[in-house]
Amino acid sequence: MGFSAIQIILVFIFVFIVAIDQFDFLESLYQPIVTGAVIGAILGDLPTGLVVGGTYQLMTIGNMPVGGAQPPNAVVGGVMAAVFAISSGLDTTAAVGLAVPFAIIGQYMVTLLFTAMSPMMSVADKMAEKGDTKGIVRLNYLAMAILGLLFAVVCTAGLLGGAAMGEKLTALSEQYAWFMNGLSAAGGMMRFVGFAVLLRIMLSNDFWGIYFAGFALATIIGYIPELSGSALLLIAFVGIAMALYDFQTRCAMKSAGAGASVNGGDEDGI
Amino acid sequence: MAFNATHYNNLTPAKQLDKATLNKMVFRSLNLQASFNYERMQAGGWLYCILPGLEKIHADNKEDLEISMQHNLEFFNTHPFLVTFVMGIVLSLEQQKADIGTIRAVRVAAMGPLGGIGDAIFWFTLVPITAGITSNMAINGSLAGPILFLLIFNIVQFLCRFFLMYWSYNLGTKAIELLTANAKEFTRAASMLGVFVVGALTSNYGGTTINLVIENGDSPINIQSILDGVLPKLIPLTITLVLFALMKKKGWTPVMCIGLLLVVGILGGFIGIF
Repeated sequence: MGFSAIQIILVFIFVFIVAIDQFDFLESLYQPIVTGAVIGAILGDLPTGLVVGGTYQLMTIGNMPVGGAQPPNAVVGGVMAAVFAISSGLDTTAAVGLAVPFAIIGQYMVTLLFTAMSPMMSVADKMAEKGDTKGIVRLNYLAMAILGLLFAVVCTAGLLGGAAMGEKLTALSEQYAWFMNGLSAAGGMMRFVGFAVLLRIMLSNDFWGIYFAGFALATIIGYIPELSGSALLLIAFVGIAMALYDFQTRCAMKSAGAGASVNGGDEDGI
Repeated sequence: MAFNATHYNNLTPAKQLDKATLNKMVFRSLNLQASFNYERMQAGGWLYCILPGLEKIHADNKEDLEISMQHNLEFFNTHPFLVTFVMGIVLSLEQQKADIGTIRAVRVAAMGPLGGIGDAIFWFTLVPITAGITSNMAINGSLAGPILFLLIFNIVQFLCRFFLMYWSYNLGTKAIELLTANAKEFTRAASMLGVFVVGALTSNYGGTTINLVIENGDSPINIQSILDGVLPKLIPLTITLVLFALMKKKGWTPVMCIGLLLVVGILGGFIGIF
């Protein structure tokens, strides 16, 4: 089944938008239930699009991008499943199967982009030093445009190349699996740079114990699967109790010190 | 350098932010993750979101705007749908020209817990329920499925974003009067909470593990489980502390640290330990 130039352009534009939407904008247009219907409408088979979208949506419910983890990309997966179901007349399961290599490539692209954007933060630092507000805005829009373009190109290539393209991508992703593994490991470690920067600024010598206490509590709670959702909230309760106690004690010390003898007040230097 | 500045030059509180600016920032908050990256996560987007407010607040002092922009580019990660809560409270502190240490501590302390709450509300409750119902409508061929899904999800999302922005901005403005009397004590307590949260994040966000098994006949030795026996999350903790030491003692920049981690990661991927 061939596609008209207008259909290809519409798919390109639509994927560009939903690729951005997966992290920004409405963060809901990218869900397979929506993309299936829109791709169906563009390719002239809305009923199939609805069915594939709905089915794929049910599959992804247990597989949300929570806490920074990157499952095979649902945007590319949903779009390509609808494309294959309509163009090759496959049933939904088979179409979803064909879409998987594309979803994995989508996941790789996200990893690559998030890694490449890390050193860009020092460019942002320079802009901030100069008070370049327009630069910060441009940097953000640029990053969004790159994300949209990457995904639009992959999906358009899939639309034109069909399942054969999927096989090529699978071979490619297997060949470079070690590199992508290393890159996502590096990506997973980069947040420690962010933490270290915060610590360098916030961590005065008398707070070392507090840092390790936070680490210890989070690690203990981390071993209780039932608390995975509420872990940071529980940790905040303990942290707030501690900070509040410190605040109240010091305020009380200060007002006591102010009322007491001349020597008493100024000894609680930080 | 930003991290040396402890307070703004102009300490006169700025005018209250007007509704138009607050609304503009609510809409910008949609793109919080625009420049998401592994090092500072949403930091670039965060600064972009609050810039309209910062420009108004520090309109009379360019240096203050620069200081503010720099410290608002530090590591930031919270739930994208609840971010306006952090925005409101941080903007109220900026407007009152609070200590930079205080602003930073409040920002760090507020961002962590919201992640868990947001996941619970949106990804574990709202999406499964609405998507579950509307998907079956779609499978039965009804176009109402996707439309209903978008409507419900976005109504909840925008209610959250607008309500939290105004509520926390007003809350912060009211609270600050109580706090200025004990500003020093408050900064200390907030920093304490901030450091506690960063400690928790080191473990909670630290997923780095080693996938190395030494062949040993019938009982292969799994390095990661040995490390877990010593101290779970030992690797995230060690990396954070090593990076901290490199920056503090050796004067490394964040970019040098990223370069180091890239080399370690790709070499590790090549030998197969990740």
